[in-house]
Amino acid sequence: MDMLAQGLIQGVLVGSTYGLIALGMGLIYSVSGVVNFAQGDMLIVALYVALSLFAAFRFDPYVSVVVMLPIMAIAGALLYLLLIRRIMTGHAFMAVQMTLALSFVLESSLLMIYGGDLQHVPSAYEASLLILGNGLLVVRTSLVIAFAVSCLLSMLLYWMLNRTDLGREIRAVNQNMKAAVLMGIDVERVRTLTFAAGGALLAIAAVLLSPGLSLSPTAGLQYTMLTIMVLVLGGMTNFFGILLGGVIIGVVEAMGGIYVSGTAGLIVPYAIFAIFLLLRPHGLLSRR
Amino acid sequence: MRPDFFRLLRSWRFIACLLAIASMQIWLSPYYLGIANLTLFYLGLAAAWNIVGGIAGQISLGHSLFFAVGALLPAVLLNFGVNPWLGMCAGIVAAALLGMLLTALIHRFKLNYLSYALVTFAFAQMGSLIVLGWDFLGGASGINLPTDKGALLQMQFGGSRGYFWPLAVAALICFIANAAVLNSRLGYGLRAARANPAAAEAVGVPVLRGHLIAMAISAGLSAMVATIYARSATFIDPAFLPSPELTIEIVLLVTIGGRGTLAGPVMAAAVLVPLGEVLRGRLGGALPGLHHFLYGALVIAVMLLSPDGIAPGFARLWRKHSGSRPERGI
Repeated sequence: MDMLAQGLIQGVLVGSTYGLIALGMGLIYSVSGVVNFAQGDMLIVALYVALSLFAAFRFDPYVSVVVMLPIMAIAGALLYLLLIRRIMTGHAFMAVQMTLALSFVLESSLLMIYGGDLQHVPSAYEASLLILGNGLLVVRTSLVIAFAVSCLLSMLLYWMLNRTDLGREIRAVNQNMKAAVLMGIDVERVRTLTFAAGGALLAIAAVLLSPGLSLSPTAGLQYTMLTIMVLVLGGMTNFFGILLGGVIIGVVEAMGGIYVSGTAGLIVPYAIFAIFLLLRPHGLLSRR
Repeated sequence: MRPDFFRLLRSWRFIACLLAIASMQIWLSPYYLGIANLTLFYLGLAAAWNIVGGIAGQISLGHSLFFAVGALLPAVLLNFGVNPWLGMCAGIVAAALLGMLLTALIHRFKLNYLSYALVTFAFAQMGSLIVLGWDFLGGASGINLPTDKGALLQMQFGGSRGYFWPLAVAALICFIANAAVLNSRLGYGLRAARANPAAAEAVGVPVLRGHLIAMAISAGLSAMVATIYARSATFIDPAFLPSPELTIEIVLLVTIGGRGTLAGPVMAAAVLVPLGEVLRGRLGGALPGLHHFLYGALVIAVMLLSPDGIAPGFARLWRKHSGSRPERGI
């Protein structure tokens, strides 16, 4: 029972960050129809930037986010302006292939620059634990921080989508692009800003995930898959569905790690995803 | 089968290409022969993937499952004393059945193109993790096949000069299968379904049957190529054949060449695999991953310049300069 609660809490805490990453991907999908297969690799790039900032200036990841946020936001905007925009007129397949190619480029660039050895980003809260209820629950402090920040950012995003002009524009482009153009919305601007926001979210998520994470250039594809699973479970553009999907994948991953030994535990999220997708292809919260 | 198919097989260009490739077995140095073998391996896989990913237009990221079946099933059966040739046949049949099962499952739930890529990717990840976690299939340390003593009946061809022939034949079979599908009723149905599934169904194209057959052919051919490659390497590396990364490499090769074309995947594999290998040989120590960087960068460049691949791009250039239509089938 103890272990179950432990796993549940750990899963919910990590899952909130997965949900955050997937929200960035979902925003991009909702305004452009592009699923970014390089998302995981961009996350890994952000983590390596944090590593370099530590190596060069001894910045703690929680500090270096100030530097990383603009870098990743610009990277996101450039991804749209230089690559994705050029193929928007073609079939939607092309974005899949383009971003898969980008993931190869990023992964092998990291391999060439940093080498293939496992590394980790040192951080102040790496080993610190929070003990709750007279030792009933032991949680890593970094996970609690990740959960709190993810929740805060999700609320901020929700507010942005519903209460600001940019948010209304994003929703308008998502619902009917042609009508949005006719109403005078600058679709290019909305897409560029959304890609930038997706990049910025990745910078924050990288910092949240960094404590205790072993980092290798080839891990990007797994994070991409994880994010896509969350996104699809959530129904691609359903805000709360995506957050719920993140928590489900986080919990399933934690449970798989606890109750199923070895590599087989890693299979559990994929299996659950495949079953969910076949049963509810339009997402967890869809009414269809 | 349309006459174009037979015309291609009888054309002097095709036969000259075959002879040129066959002669490589004699004059290439061992190092370059190894690269030629690897190129033939990629060429076969690219042509096989093209049947599903190109002609039928379904981006399958799950082909590593078929590579894994093709490599591992004969190796496991060999432990029970089954002849590797029989094992290869078993692998082909198993992969084809697995492919049809996947296709039927996905068709049953009416997934769109994106979910298709995602579901096949999820299955590929599961397959790769199962291979890594199950010692019966070699686990993380892989399976060593028995030493090659040159016994043909045991599927041993003795060194890379011997394995050139089976790999070349396998690649040729994949290429011909590709041409045959393109020039048959099946291929027309598949292309119609790719352009508009509902309209194809409405005029009487059996879409599901077409996809099942295409996947069975593609999966079976992939398994065959994988069996021969695994035998030539005498070692099944769990991080190579069963890993989704190889599938993505194949997808990128076919994309560069031109999805759904006959010449595209072959051209891309024939140019890029040797280039990547030579670069890896020269600079691999200092810059690991350079050849993957090159693939990725090339795909991005090709998509920006000629979005349907280099083969159609060349065809357009040809038409512009000569004012005539290029040969059919390119």
